[in-house]
Amino acid sequence: MKDDPARRRAVARVLLLPLLFLTVALLGGMRVAVDRSFVFLPPPLVTLVMAALLASLFMRGRLVRLEAWLGSRHGVLTNVSHALTLVALFFASAQAFNSVLPEQGLLHWMFAFFFLWTLWNDQFSPFDPFRLLRSLGVLFGTAFVLKHMILGALAAPGGSWTQRIASAIFQGLSLGTLDVPAVAPATGYISFFTLALYVIGLVLVAPTPDEPGDVRPLLREARLLTPGERRALLKELEEE
Amino acid sequence: MRYPLLHATGITATLLYAGFVVWVYATQPRTLKDVTQGARVAAGAYAVDAARYDTALSLFHRGLFRAAREEWERADPARADARTQFYIAYAFYREGWGRLYHDDALYGQGLQAVDRALALTPAGSLIVADPDLKMHTAAELKAELEKGREKTWSDLNPLRVLEERK
Repeated sequence: MKDDPARRRAVARVLLLPLLFLTVALLGGMRVAVDRSFVFLPPPLVTLVMAALLASLFMRGRLVRLEAWLGSRHGVLTNVSHALTLVALFFASAQAFNSVLPEQGLLHWMFAFFFLWTLWNDQFSPFDPFRLLRSLGVLFGTAFVLKHMILGALAAPGGSWTQRIASAIFQGLSLGTLDVPAVAPATGYISFFTLALYVIGLVLVAPTPDEPGDVRPLLREARLLTPGERRALLKELEEE
Repeated sequence: MRYPLLHATGITATLLYAGFVVWVYATQPRTLKDVTQGARVAAGAYAVDAARYDTALSLFHRGLFRAAREEWERADPARADARTQFYIAYAFYREGWGRLYHDDALYGQGLQAVDRALALTPAGSLIVADPDLKMHTAAELKAELEKGREKTWSDLNPLRVLEERK
């Protein structure tokens, strides 16, 4: 079998990416209860709204160029394959939010509001794929630390007396509205792994499916050029 | 179009995996064992443990209903065999039956088991030809369990003590 870069990119796009995003969709709603049993939480409606806003950001930020992924220039199989990848990306996004969103109580809505506000504001900001990925990394990273490290530690059963006092103060100050269900530590590890897979998946997504792999760094470099340098570069390319 | 075989493979693999993800969320397995059992049921490779089933049946015929139920639960951990679920429901019925009153909690669990048995036989034609039983279909058993849980004036009828356990 001939091993060329285009074929490797096609394998990554057609096989690896959808399976990776579906794994995120599977693990994003997975929690491990204190008795070590699994709980699978389907994506709440609000995470679907967030995923829709994020999909819009992907298109605005040129992380995904829809007209290049789907269209009459591709065959039926290619279009179906690309559509499945994009659907998997949508559900992976919803489940990535589900993974870092507290399950219930006031915190669920506070986090949801924080996410929606950020995504809504981002709709009106200029983005390129690199900045978008960095922004998403920070967004998910912050939510992960808040949910699985800070709130998770406060809600963990047992623990030291200082932890129990902090937990009691936390509950008292919130008048019992910050209801965080206790889960096994494995939940945090699963969430971390899920978010890592999601970010890897996003890095692997090419704005244009058939784009050669070494074009993106060049384009990134080109964006850093001054208008004069760009004009000189274009002139040079035209002369060639 | 380039790589048609690759695209076809990708589509098939994606659809299969997506089906698995939906199945996991629909069935909510609680352990990895549940996942493997559920997969075996879905693939049609699941079978009850025959030895445990027979042991449970002999316990049931000797009137040891609780022990029989536990043995049947072990024989059919995925709760995917209609006949076993029927017997579990029958064991709840017989243990909960009383000449003066019926145990609502046991009857309730019996109803859940008979509902599972009915759900596992979409045609609704589960017939168990056991001479020890007086009800041979899941529908009869369900009706009896529901009747036992109803509160009516006939509950006060003293002639009820003459009723026979089925």
